[in-house]
Amino acid sequence: MKKKKNVRNWQRLTVFGKIFHKLGLFLLHRPSGQQVALFWNAIKSLFSSNRNFKTDTRNIIMQTFFTGVEIFPILFIVATLFGTVVIIEVISLMGKMGLSDVVGSLIVVVIVRELGPILTAFLIAGRSGSSLTTYIGSMVINSEVDALATMGVDPIRYLVMPGLFGGCIAMFFMNIIFSTSAIISGFLLTKGIIFLTGNIINIQLTWSYLSTEILNALTLTDFVFIVLKPLIFGAIITTNACYQALNIPRDVRQVPKATSRSVIKSFLYVVCADVVLSIFYFVDYINNLNTLI
Amino acid sequence: MQDEALRLENVSLAYNDLTGNMFSQPRAVSFFKHREDDEQKELIRNVNLTVTRGETLCIGGGSGQGKSALLRIIAGLVRPTRGNIYYFGEYIPPERLTALEVAKRQVGLVFQNGALISNLKVRDNIALPLRYHKMGSPEEIDEKVKMAMDLMRVREEADMFPHQLSVGMQKRVAIARSWAMDPKLLLMDEPTAGLDNYNRRNLLPLIDNMRQLFKTTIIIVTHDLLMTKELNCNISFLHKKTLTEPHSFDYWLNSDSDISRALFRDFTNTGSSPTHFINPKL
Repeated sequence: MKKKKNVRNWQRLTVFGKIFHKLGLFLLHRPSGQQVALFWNAIKSLFSSNRNFKTDTRNIIMQTFFTGVEIFPILFIVATLFGTVVIIEVISLMGKMGLSDVVGSLIVVVIVRELGPILTAFLIAGRSGSSLTTYIGSMVINSEVDALATMGVDPIRYLVMPGLFGGCIAMFFMNIIFSTSAIISGFLLTKGIIFLTGNIINIQLTWSYLSTEILNALTLTDFVFIVLKPLIFGAIITTNACYQALNIPRDVRQVPKATSRSVIKSFLYVVCADVVLSIFYFVDYINNLNTLI
Repeated sequence: MQDEALRLENVSLAYNDLTGNMFSQPRAVSFFKHREDDEQKELIRNVNLTVTRGETLCIGGGSGQGKSALLRIIAGLVRPTRGNIYYFGEYIPPERLTALEVAKRQVGLVFQNGALISNLKVRDNIALPLRYHKMGSPEEIDEKVKMAMDLMRVREEADMFPHQLSVGMQKRVAIARSWAMDPKLLLMDEPTAGLDNYNRRNLLPLIDNMRQLFKTTIIIVTHDLLMTKELNCNISFLHKKTLTEPHSFDYWLNSDSDISRALFRDFTNTGSSPTHFINPKL
């Protein structure tokens, strides 16, 4: 009887099942596997029996405001300047090379598809990701997280879940704001520069030309990825920030280390995820090529 | 079996396992780790302990012997290297032994530093677990919080933040927070450390009340040996990595063991300071 008790469930599996089990444990032993586990735990905790619609919504909205609203001025300025630079460079360069019909698709590729989401992700990782790490990390150091756990309050639900959802929602809106303000206020600033310098850079630019070019270049895939990319990036940033924070050893010097690690690794993971997502664009492109030929 | 609150069977803890918190290890990786059998690397070795319901037990010992680590094991914050733990007669296998799982069985822990959530007021700190677990309507929770604050005499500080309170006050709020959860088993880490004599004398009747009125099982880790006598409970010591049998204060005072000689020397000398609690004839 006692012997039977010692046999765990995994020992009753088939050979294939055992290999699968070991692979799962191997992955769970790695930081990336643990981050994925943390992410799914945070999603799962939204539906736990302790859910309370009012407080959850309030926490998530507060986190969204914290992540999104306070970063808005800097994001706006970065977007405007970035948009200006891209518009001037693209139009002057493409005009010189006689490729002025690809202006719209180039602006879409640079601003809407690639660098807009990435720059937004960097800004949010630098500001909200780091503050999330410091906040949770200090709680770990003061053993407040342990106290939460001993009270039966799931720290993943109480700390990680609002950060994750707030981060994703804020990232989504910030990305749309970034792209629109990069194009619209970038256009206005370009016009201002043309007006002030007396068109020394020698480009012809009108709003109708720019807008029709961009609207023609936008495809359905772009709209899908405008929604998908920021959500994925936001999930990566907040999960990584919370993971780094929750694994701090009990040492005050580890908090700044974990913060910098959180930001740097967020950058890395975001760029990697961007590359992976770009594969879908390539597939899309090849399909279009087939239809053209 | 029915009336036991907690049973530890051959619990051991290696130094290496002390650092892991519940997030650093996924639930079932213990099978990857090789067993640590080196006695030198173990903080606690083969601890056996049985606590019956309603009993109060003190755990003493010199500093660095792993008293707090033992309490963290019981609370589920640290996973023991070996050994079985039974809560109220129910065995929890090691891969499921987390603080959340233990907390479901109504085990409360009062930390040495209080560990209050620093961005919440005292009132919200006490109400947080009640609200999270939906223990009653908002009015009932308010009532419960007021009762807890009255019991620990922190009513005037209800709207203060933890950093505005003194250490003793924080500790009392932490005890109030644990009490409000109606724990069946309450673990206290040094409840009297850092308190002055006046606050200490206020705290002891509160612990006594809790035990008398609510039949809470209490385990107190302390170096304050006189507390044992005042609460009239048994004390066992962590000595040479293992836990001794629980005995009363007087037994230890009169016995001729290493522990008695090391820790009770002050009390047996009639000339030293805390002897006003002790019968000089002893």
